[in-house]
Amino acid sequence: MIAALGRQIDKLLAGKPGKHQGVMGVFYYVDDAASAVKAAREQGHKNLTVFSPVPHHDIERANEQGPSLVRWITFTGGVLGITGGFALCIYSVMSWPIVVGGKELISLPPFVVIGYESMILLAGLANLLGMLALGRLPQIGLRAPYDPRFSEDRIGIWVPCSGQASEKVRELLRGHGAEEVNVHA
Amino acid sequence: MSGATVTDVPKSHGERYDDATHARGPEITQKSINDDVMRLITRPGPLWWAIFLLDLLILTIGLLAERNQIVHGVGVAGHTRPVMWASYVANFVFWVGIAHCGTLVSAILFLFRSHFRRAVYRIAEAMTVFGVLTAGLFPIIHLGRPWFAYWLFPYPNQRQLWPNFRSPLEWDVFAVSTYLTVSSIFFLVGIIPDAAAARDRVKNPYLKLVMTIFSFGWTGSNNQWKHFYGAYLYFAAIATPLVLSVHSVVSWDFAMSQVPGWHSTIFAPYFVAGAIFSGVAMVINLIIPIRAGFKLHHIVTMDHLEKLSKLVLLTGTIVTYSYLCEFFLAWYGPSSYERDLFWWRATGHFSWAFWIMFGCNAGVPLLLWFKQVRTNVPLLFVLCLFVNVGMYFERFVIIITSLARPFEPMSWDVNYRMSWTEGAVLAGSFAWFFMFFLIFVRLLPAFSIAEIKETLPPPLRRKPS
Repeated sequence: MIAALGRQIDKLLAGKPGKHQGVMGVFYYVDDAASAVKAAREQGHKNLTVFSPVPHHDIERANEQGPSLVRWITFTGGVLGITGGFALCIYSVMSWPIVVGGKELISLPPFVVIGYESMILLAGLANLLGMLALGRLPQIGLRAPYDPRFSEDRIGIWVPCSGQASEKVRELLRGHGAEEVNVHA
Repeated sequence: MSGATVTDVPKSHGERYDDATHARGPEITQKSINDDVMRLITRPGPLWWAIFLLDLLILTIGLLAERNQIVHGVGVAGHTRPVMWASYVANFVFWVGIAHCGTLVSAILFLFRSHFRRAVYRIAEAMTVFGVLTAGLFPIIHLGRPWFAYWLFPYPNQRQLWPNFRSPLEWDVFAVSTYLTVSSIFFLVGIIPDAAAARDRVKNPYLKLVMTIFSFGWTGSNNQWKHFYGAYLYFAAIATPLVLSVHSVVSWDFAMSQVPGWHSTIFAPYFVAGAIFSGVAMVINLIIPIRAGFKLHHIVTMDHLEKLSKLVLLTGTIVTYSYLCEFFLAWYGPSSYERDLFWWRATGHFSWAFWIMFGCNAGVPLLLWFKQVRTNVPLLFVLCLFVNVGMYFERFVIIITSLARPFEPMSWDVNYRMSWTEGAVLAGSFAWFFMFFLIFVRLLPAFSIAEIKETLPPPLRRKPS
């Protein structure tokens, strides 16, 4: 029973093989991968994907990656949080106005704590949602062929292309030190 | 990068590492890091099961005590006037304090680019999440009618009743629930790339399913890394003021009142320093057995332990300064009640608790000035246990002595002693915390595979210019 369920889980997780068109190069050396990315981009392949176990600045530079836009989503969450926190406190005292200890109904200093914590809460949630949305997570189907070695110590460069361009890309990746190049037609 | 991470390695995996000689061994590679961290995620042995079952037994005793309290009322806990906030509130502050180290290590040290955090931050973060989960129980446990705990949260209702947002207790609800949410997100987001590495290696289908869920389908593409680190930086940036605010808010539960011994502006920084002090000590207490049990001396090196112990020393001196400041302010200030209370703390009925606190928190950590102590692993472990005992007693002393010695002398008849119910619930809270921790260590990557790999020099064909 447990083994049969395990087999079903294995089958479910394996999924169906995706149909991809392009060339995948597997690299060990970071400088080789960075120069391959640069050369591929110079050939006009701007839409390439690099898989790696850790991010490498050399490859990011070669790929001309800009900063993540997630910071604006985080900022928006923070602004909404602080506004919402203060608004909740002010609404609650105005909807049931009881003066306690001769204090102002809208007592801003104690409301700062609620506004501040709400700002951090919503900024954190927005940050998470921003990261997931921009990073396209959770990812169910693969957009490029994936190899478990990419989470260990190898770098993969996926260049979407077809036809004669595939042959050129294959030569390019091999020429820049790829250990293995696979053409997916 | 931390040079020690790469150089302090055992001669071979499985060989007993000699902390004293710092024996050099084979080079650590990206693959060996995967292998080492994955060794933790294997079928647990009899020792793990024995500890886990003992833990569950203690938890059951705690749950039975809590059941007894719910049925018969908080009277069974021995709470009576004037000490109505007794050990449950002390437990709450203790566990919130323990929870502070994780965010310090993962967020503040990340912003300061202190790379030694990479080897220890996952365990510290797990400790944070489980610490807040434990702390959050106590405000509910100490309620007379715990089933109405949801009244603490603001929610629309037909009577348009809202909580009092001017009350520090309501601030606490916001601070602790925000802290639990943000620290859990921070913890789970950090696990994503490592869960993917584990997903690609485990054979057991059930474990593979768990890793697939925790990895969110991560592939390590350039787009994912870009937004991951973009978000991680901002998690660190928002978690840093959060961690400082949470224990400040906890301290204001006391400092905003007029009670002698509580009404002090020093409380916020004093509590934050104390929280980090106990939290780092707890990280050392947790990491030393894991390091020894799984032979991970090359991942958590002596250098890491020494740096953590220096943090204990630093925060310990801040805590000691705060103790002395409190006494100075009582002596120099205008309030005779304050003077009387502080004198009573050190010489009265609960002086034994005060001197345990002072000895463990102000005296024992001074040994960490000596490198021989910082690098002696068993001694460091015992010393950190003393720190945690001392920090528990700090909360006990602050809460119970102040309540037992209020303004009216007619209430000075000391009638508080810890009941078996409180003791069982306290033991149960430790079991609750360790239950999560024991499961975590065997189920998820307890060390950050990706971040430890970043400490290695990247493989280059050409020499770096």
